[in-house]
Amino acid sequence: MQKPKSNQASVGSVQCENTTLNLLKVNDFVAKAIRDRLPNILVINVCSSPGSGKTTLMQETGKRLRDRLNMSVLVGDPETERDAIRMRDVGINALQIVTGGMCHIEAQMIYQALDHIDLTGTDVLFIENVGNLVCPAAFDLGEDYRVTVLACTEGDDKPKKYPRMFLTSELLIVSKSDLLPYVPFSVEAVTKDARDVNPDIEVLSISSLKGDGLDAWCDWLTERVYAKREKAAEKVG
Amino acid sequence: MHEISLVRNIFRTLEDEFPHDIQRVRGIYLKAGLLSNVQPILMQNAFQAVLEDQPKYNKTTLHVEVLPILIQCDLCGQTSEVAQYRFVCSQCGRPSRNVIQGEELLISKVEFE
Repeated sequence: MQKPKSNQASVGSVQCENTTLNLLKVNDFVAKAIRDRLPNILVINVCSSPGSGKTTLMQETGKRLRDRLNMSVLVGDPETERDAIRMRDVGINALQIVTGGMCHIEAQMIYQALDHIDLTGTDVLFIENVGNLVCPAAFDLGEDYRVTVLACTEGDDKPKKYPRMFLTSELLIVSKSDLLPYVPFSVEAVTKDARDVNPDIEVLSISSLKGDGLDAWCDWLTERVYAKREKAAEKVG
Repeated sequence: MHEISLVRNIFRTLEDEFPHDIQRVRGIYLKAGLLSNVQPILMQNAFQAVLEDQPKYNKTTLHVEVLPILIQCDLCGQTSEVAQYRFVCSQCGRPSRNVIQGEELLISKVEFE
């Protein structure tokens, strides 16, 4: 980063032409610190609108992964502990981050939360972001992968309306797929629009309630947990 | 978006960079990529609201320039502007995620009295 010289005389003059003071540099700095702190744990940032089924997906993922992997969840909401309680109810190690009305989670909140959650033995840490397809897209939380959940009841026009979220995600989960026969939603159309924005994005259809697609999702996760472990081992070795 | 916290970030950033000259700042120039979701009008409103709270900065004006999204093709190297959020090369039609402009949120220039 090019630094302006603040000790220069500044009266009556224009200073710092072409300076670059990145307003998100604090966040990005802390995001890197999170990556350095969790070399062996796969970190997944789960984003979506409110009510897309993130917490239900987490619950069902926890039940399915139980025999294979240990998972923990940091869950952000503007208010209440409800989601963390729902996850603990099914035996998932979960900590609520109450953002106090804020529309997104910032890296600093995750870094602080790491002091309050026991991640011993955890293979995959999910960050369930605040329900919002706009603001969370701008904040790197030190994750390895960003996953956007879009319920088919929300409509298949979202990738073009909220491009940055889809641009910065590696995987799009179309949730509530058991409702596909009843709503005007085309997985093909949403895939096409999402790939206009991000040609590399993968798409999975999932019904957390009926179980469709959950095996593929768990395989996707397991593969990446092992890949991250191998990478960490290489670094140490 | 969260304009108030962005405006506070602007002042925090400037206080860090110019601890001695911060009171003499008169003009702040922002470059906001289209993907940063920053709306200039909302930024200006938030800026005015923060100035009410912090009268020491009330001689300062904010200028926001929104930058279009540019991608560079991995295949042919062509730089193209993204229209309607279709991230494809305007020359060869190949999809690209190689965003070279449009995600930034920068203070590009600061004027002092």
